[in-house]
Amino acid sequence: MSSVIETRDVSKHYGEGDTLVKALDRVSLGIAPGEFTAIVGPSGSGKSTLLQLMGGLDNPTHGQVHLANKDITQMSGRELSDFRRDHIGFIFQAYNLIPVLTAAENCEYIMLLQGVPEAERRERVYAMLERVGLAGREGRFPHQLSGGQQQRVAVARAMVSRPNIILADEPTANLDSQTGSDLLDMMHDLNRNEGMTFVFSTHDPMIMERASRLIRLKDGCIDSESEREA
Amino acid sequence: MMMLKLAFRNILRNRRRTLLTVLSMAGGYLLVSVQLSVTEGSYDQVLDFYTRDTTGHVQVTVDGFVETPTLYKAFSLTDDLQQAIDALPGVQATAPRIESSALGYGDTRSFPVSVRGVDPEREAALSYLADKVSAGRYLSSEPDDQGYAGVMIGAQVARQLALDVGDELILVSQGADGSLANDLYRVQGIVGQPGDVEERWVVMPLAAAQSFFVLPGEVHRLVILGADYRSAPRLAERIGEMLPGQELTASSWQTVAREFHETMTADKEGGMITLYVIVFLVCIGVLNTVLMSVLERTGEFGVLKAIGTSPARLFWLIVLETLLLAVIACLLGGLIALPINLWFTLQGIALAEPMEISGIVFSHYRGQMSAYVFGFPMLVILIAAALIALMPAFRAARIVPVDAMRTL
Ligand SMILES: Nc1ncnc2c1ncn2[C@@H]1O[C@H](COP(=O)(O)OP(=O)(O)O)[C@@H](O)[C@H]1O
Ligand SMILES: [Mg+2]
Repeated sequence: MSSVIETRDVSKHYGEGDTLVKALDRVSLGIAPGEFTAIVGPSGSGKSTLLQLMGGLDNPTHGQVHLANKDITQMSGRELSDFRRDHIGFIFQAYNLIPVLTAAENCEYIMLLQGVPEAERRERVYAMLERVGLAGREGRFPHQLSGGQQQRVAVARAMVSRPNIILADEPTANLDSQTGSDLLDMMHDLNRNEGMTFVFSTHDPMIMERASRLIRLKDGCIDSESEREA
Repeated sequence: MMMLKLAFRNILRNRRRTLLTVLSMAGGYLLVSVQLSVTEGSYDQVLDFYTRDTTGHVQVTVDGFVETPTLYKAFSLTDDLQQAIDALPGVQATAPRIESSALGYGDTRSFPVSVRGVDPEREAALSYLADKVSAGRYLSSEPDDQGYAGVMIGAQVARQLALDVGDELILVSQGADGSLANDLYRVQGIVGQPGDVEERWVVMPLAAAQSFFVLPGEVHRLVILGADYRSAPRLAERIGEMLPGQELTASSWQTVAREFHETMTADKEGGMITLYVIVFLVCIGVLNTVLMSVLERTGEFGVLKAIGTSPARLFWLIVLETLLLAVIACLLGGLIALPINLWFTLQGIALAEPMEISGIVFSHYRGQMSAYVFGFPMLVILIAAALIALMPAFRAARIVPVDAMRTL
């Protein structure tokens, strides 16, 4: 099966000389459509770095990242931002909603950049917010929402622009376990019912339980890999 | 629309800072606008007065007369030409003048004088000559009952020749045909005070001057007063096209009084430097706050970029925010400047000591209400704001999302 995203021999080094840190060291990895993948490993093992490189947020020191047969490491700043806009959905540990935009506007923003017509934007935003259980809270600003609710908005924001893949960096780390578990159920649902591809980085056993594929990182290298029937 | 909304909400985030920024820009606007109003108003007063008093707005002369006036560069002024110019739209008044010099004799002494031949009625309608009579009467075209033409003399002429109203004045000079010119005149009035530009003048009716200098039907200048001294160059061009023959030319007052015009312009530009200093100081303050607000939001810009905002769009967001502040500041500044400029225009500040120029008294600094006085500061503030925004906007546009988000 062809991959949504593929890393080929990707390395990322920080610093140089004595202070050189090989955050990632020759990682090759393909993510197939519909996967619900968890990248696990101790703190500092390179999980965030891997997600950032896959999402075009940073350039690797060596290697290539391919999406739809295009090498994104060769793209200019403008091409990369368009690439992220159209193909990648991000969910961050700290939610990272735009504080001056309401829940609905946060979701609408990317579609606006994509040039989706207003009527369609509204329809998709309202449907999506309802889907993540935030019907009736569309007009709230992030500071008027709980952490769990903010992360739901972040999921909705990542989903609503219909990316090829959603990259989530420790999405449940800031949430209590019940809230985290609810959020995960919701994402799992989206994965099964809508076929959305998810890649998580996590320490959270709940994510590992639900993941269809588990990739263990250690010191910037893939340590082991296991697949499981969902 | 979303970007405007985003920009607007962003500037409302830190209300105190926004208020301070807006107030300082509005203050800059206000200072520039009021100073411009008063400067423009005062220059306007001076230039309007000067052109009416001295040069008119446009002059028709023989080519070269304006630069080097001589007795011989006279032209015959036809009724047709004068009527055609009178009929031009915007022309308020026209008056012919003859200018030369002569030696004046009183009872015992002689004194060199500057002779002006004017059409009394036309001159009164154009310049302030009739308002400057300090003793006796204004000029009349008709000779007195003994057949002498009446003249008005400047204060210095009166003193040097010990002449008063009713006395006789003898002038000796050379006619345009080379003959010796001399004639007897009756002093009808004194014009101005000692020290005025007119102090050495002898003003006589045009016909008397024409016969004295042997210039039948001829004049040196046809002085024209248009609607506004500012539009003089255009009027000069219009009139220039109507002039018959090659030897006549129409010059605007800027050419006729070149030195005066250049001095005034330089003076005005000197005044502008203060304004640019004000704007510069305001800019430094605003630059500081804009930079601060960009730095504070580095992480957020990282997120905006991460989710697909292009560098260019982020750049424009910062520029837009700053311009929005500037527009609000200009509106506020304009609102405050309006009554102040209006007051200056209608009321003005009284000068500590009223200034008197040739019997005309300037008692107030006056303001001006014009699109320029309100529009120019706005333009300056907006351009300054755009320039200020460039550096922070560029910074924001170049942010690397991962690095930026690490600051969150
Ligand atoms: N900007 C950076 N500069 C220097 N070192 C970094 C930077 N980002 C990450 N690292 C280092 O790279 C390694 C991997 O980091 P990261 O990908 O964040 O790990 P994880 O997400 O698994 O905790 C760590 O040793 C970290 O200290
Ligand atoms: Mg991490």
